[in-house]
Amino acid sequence: MRNFIEFSLGIIIAFSLYSIIGKISFSLSQLLNFFTLIVLYFAMTRGEIYGAFMGTICGLIQDAFSLGVFGINGLTKTIIGFLAGYVSQKLNVIPLRRNFLFIFVMISAEIALSSFLYYFISAEYVNEITPIVLFQPLSTAVIGSLIFLFLRKARIFSTQK
Amino acid sequence: MPLVLREKKKLAILFILVFFHLILISLQIPLGEEKNFLEKTVFFIFSPVQHGMTVFFKTIGNVWNNYFYLTEVQKANKQMKEEIFLLRHENNQLRKALEELKNNNSIQEYISAIHDSFLIAQVIGIDSRNVYRSIIINKGSLDGLKKNMIVLDKKGNLIGRIISPISLKEAKAQLITDNDSGVGVITQQSRAIGVLTGDGKGNCDLNFIYVTEKVNEGEELLTSGLDHIFSSGIEVGKIISVADDVSLFKKIKVKPNFDFRDLDMIVVIPGYLGDF
Repeated sequence: MRNFIEFSLGIIIAFSLYSIIGKISFSLSQLLNFFTLIVLYFAMTRGEIYGAFMGTICGLIQDAFSLGVFGINGLTKTIIGFLAGYVSQKLNVIPLRRNFLFIFVMISAEIALSSFLYYFISAEYVNEITPIVLFQPLSTAVIGSLIFLFLRKARIFSTQK
Repeated sequence: MPLVLREKKKLAILFILVFFHLILISLQIPLGEEKNFLEKTVFFIFSPVQHGMTVFFKTIGNVWNNYFYLTEVQKANKQMKEEIFLLRHENNQLRKALEELKNNNSIQEYISAIHDSFLIAQVIGIDSRNVYRSIIINKGSLDGLKKNMIVLDKKGNLIGRIISPISLKEAKAQLITDNDSGVGVITQQSRAIGVLTGDGKGNCDLNFIYVTEKVNEGEELLTSGLDHIFSSGIEVGKIISVADDVSLFKKIKVKPNFDFRDLDMIVVIPGYLGDF
């Protein structure tokens, strides 16, 4: 039950952040990918299966709120969620710098994979990547690693109490 | 459970999920433009959440405006009153001009048909994949929204059209900057007819203009109505570059008139009403 609540809460938070960011600025919504951050968080803390399931749900939500082929984001995020969970079980990606690099690599891989899938399915590769999207891995990695650091500190603080 | 079996189980789950997505993607081929049930369901469930978030932040913003920025509001109010006065004046002038062109009955019918279904909506979300493709608005089927209704900005410039899925209080609109969109247009001075498609990066391409036709940079584009989706005469954009290509047609870049930064409120009008 607790898992389900956390799972649902994670989705609601990601969706709310996406909605707020979109209202603040168009460019900002392209710079920060909160859906993938939630997927990575669940993959790192719960393992590859949770990462894959979270990827499926977040990806399909993202697909429903965009034009194009429904399922591409779902497929991409499922693979990335699984991969992130698998890598984080084998390597220690918790320290800040490693965490930053891990998020950076995962989001870059997601952009590359989704572009490849888009090209493969609908031949829209060039049009899908706007210059600002290329900064998404960097900006999301900075924000993401700081958020994850804060969450870790908060968890340590609460267990110490 | 042994480690090898556990790893195999995980891989099996991944393959099931990947297979599920592949089925989902392939299901869309026979559907064409029509959205599948799962996409409609996800949109139906989550669009009210987005709506709620927008209302919540708008309420906070309103409280801020009401209590701390009353003077700003007053100034804006005065400015708007002046603007309404000018618009009314302009409206009267246009009505008079129309009356000279057509008999009164058909004008009244046309104006009331437009006026009755004029709908002001707020943009509550943008495309999660590419901001130049679509927007989500806070009006839906309960407000009378239907597929292919025309979306304009505050100044009457073309933004796009309503597409499915349309939920009860939210709907999706395809922007003219989307690379899958198509609008029948005509250039204002040279009267060349072409099809406008988005480039997915904020501008549009004007297609099917023969190299022999004379079109100039800076020329305005209007909807032609030939697509039977968009009524004729709506302002679309301005030509920013013209180049000859090796093919039969010119390569023409168009900058849309609407501003992405100014997309908080939009107007939805009925789709093609026939030629006026």
